[in-house]
Amino acid sequence: MAISSITNRISCVSNSVTQGIANVIPKLTVKGEKANKAISWIGEQISSPENRLILGVSALMSQPFIDLYNKKVDEDTRKVSAARTVAKIIAGTLTGVLIRSGCIHAIDAFTKYPSQITPDMKFKKLRSLFAPSEGLLNDLSYYKKSLGTIISLFVMVFTNFLIDAPLTKFLTNKFVDRINEKKQAANKQTKEASNE
Amino acid sequence: MSNASLFMNFKNLIAKHYGDNPGRMLIHTGVIGWILSAAAQVMAIAINDKIPKEQKMFLIPQEMADAAVNIVSFYAVTQTFASVAGKLVKTGKWLPGSVRAFLEKNGLGAKLGKKGFNVKVDGNLTDELAKQYDKFNNGIDVIATTIGSILSCNIITPLVRNEIAADRQKKAISKMNAKNPVKPVENNTNMMYIKKPSMKDFQTYSSNIYSGSSSLKI
Repeated sequence: MAISSITNRISCVSNSVTQGIANVIPKLTVKGEKANKAISWIGEQISSPENRLILGVSALMSQPFIDLYNKKVDEDTRKVSAARTVAKIIAGTLTGVLIRSGCIHAIDAFTKYPSQITPDMKFKKLRSLFAPSEGLLNDLSYYKKSLGTIISLFVMVFTNFLIDAPLTKFLTNKFVDRINEKKQAANKQTKEASNE
Repeated sequence: MSNASLFMNFKNLIAKHYGDNPGRMLIHTGVIGWILSAAAQVMAIAINDKIPKEQKMFLIPQEMADAAVNIVSFYAVTQTFASVAGKLVKTGKWLPGSVRAFLEKNGLGAKLGKKGFNVKVDGNLTDELAKQYDKFNNGIDVIATTIGSILSCNIITPLVRNEIAADRQKKAISKMNAKNPVKPVENNTNMMYIKKPSMKDFQTYSSNIYSGSSSLKI
């Protein structure tokens, strides 16, 4: 069987599935001006740094609890695993948001069509370094965010080792020390209570 | 082909694929992020001198299997959310009030939400309404993609990963038991018991082996 016929079948099945789901979802009309503006704003403003931040915040609200309620491992492992998860989320979100945002800003500065370069700009020759062929897009905002995000991913391959991993280790140790201190204090209290 | 034209082709490719589709960009860069993150993990194990070769032969495929779970879960869930939302807006089941009013006024009300109907192609929207529709479409696309990624990254993947990790932990502990032959120990009351490794032993053992390898999401 040719690969194209396999991919056609897969896309056909996936289309039928999505259509099936779409059929059971009720009709929705967004009438209010404020609601429509909010949806448009999300489409225009929420890009990869904001998406990463949302993912990080929601991860803090869910993942540690999933680890803490994992009945398949003992209590100590649960606590250490939750501490490591929190550390990982904080380190990953911090670097992820900052690097994505930084790369998008850097790309933004050097992605201009020649017609957009004004006389007062510095480094005029470099201003169109990342711009695509003229006429391909009227609005470059999504393009800049996409290119910035792709470049940030390559930057993060290095920062994963240089920043994320040491920061995760540092934060995990801090949290685990805190857990141990609490445990020791609780043990001490129980001992004192039993002695009395 | 010169480097300059290769670079231009690359930029045009990005512009063509993601220049007007923020949701698609979030999904694709998310997948690339997972792949690069997994590659970094595999590299970390491969270049770690502290890990013996025999263990590398086990750890590298294990890390790749982990990555496959993450990537497949992320792509399948997020892409499904984005596709369904895209279909709902494309067929006119979900619309801004102004666009729906216009389409109903033009006698297209009965076709809205039906398979094969395309608001952009069949709706003959005015420029202003087409602009509103595009903004609405992009907004719904980003919302669906974000909800899909929250569900896959923060709920499905950790649950699946915990299941797999618990299973591996059990296997590793039984392997440690097999390596350390059972030693009968006499205690104060002269009772015999088997000395099993504690969780602390296991954690020390696993941190020695897995040091330098951490599952980080880019």
